Amino acid sequence: MSNLTIPGSQSTPEITADWDAGQLSMQGDSYPENSFDLFGPIIDWVERFLADSNKPLRLELRLLYLNTSSIRAVMDIFDTLEEAHQRGRDVAVNWHYDHRNERVAELAEEFKEDCSFPFSIVSYS
Amino acid sequence: MDSTDLFAMREMFNRQHIMLCFNGPISRSLIEEIGNALKNYLQAEHAQPSAAMDVFGTYIEMTQNIRHYAAQNGYQEHEAAATVVVARDDGDHYVVSAGNLVEREDGRALLQRVESLAGLDKAQLKASYKEQLRKPRDAGASTGAGLGLIDMARKSSAPLTASLRDTPDGRAFFSLRAII
Repeated sequence: MSNLTIPGSQSTPEITADWDAGQLSMQGDSYPENSFDLFGPIIDWVERFLADSNKPLRLELRLLYLNTSSIRAVMDIFDTLEEAHQRGRDVAVNWHYDHRNERVAELAEEFKEDCSFPFSIVSYS
Repeated sequence: MDSTDLFAMREMFNRQHIMLCFNGPISRSLIEEIGNALKNYLQAEHAQPSAAMDVFGTYIEMTQNIRHYAAQNGYQEHEAAATVVVARDDGDHYVVSAGNLVEREDGRALLQRVESLAGLDKAQLKASYKEQLRKPRDAGASTGAGLGLIDMARKSSAPLTASLRDTPDGRAFFSLRAII
């Protein structure tokens, strides 16, 4: 049982992982030079949660711009969720975006194409 | 050039609608700082959020590719130099260009890669992007290498263009241009 809190910076998103609530939240831009330094512990947390807990897992995302190495890392997280979903786990992603920025919706849409678990792309104004 | 007279340089920048340019060793923090300035310029120009994000994203991919390339080749920090120019064209487009010193063989391979991408339409670029994204990579590899060029090509409104010039030290200077 553990929580993660990573404060955001100019090039990295703010990330919080709440074990009891079964929720991982990420918001902001992500373009660090080395995305695995940032996302490695997040991927570990997701894997541990799916292994040690039976509770549902929710991802609440307000990510904006992602560089290609962040895209790979986020894809790894979604692949982990997909495997868990195939084993019958309750997992879901809600990706929120500003309705004025269609690029974010398109980015989320491309991730969604490869996922069969519930994946909502929600606009806010 | 007369070091106290920047007038000619200024004239050229103005004529080519250059918003921002940089030449020299580029650190991680410089990429962020210049990127921040670029974001502010785009906002001040009331660029569409999608266009602003594409220009910013192309700038980031180009400069980070240059840093990764320098690191992979064991170049010293001062050799991780880049020439970066962001400009407007005469129409509604932004032009993002970056250049760096490369080994000649790598430069020729890059030119070929850019040329092969130029022949692909948007649907083919997307297929190629997804394929590259799914390719197995080395454990612990940190870069999106290979993916960056396709990502830029997808953000561009015209095919990427590139050129290569040999330098006296046995290397070559590679230039890449994206029109957003």
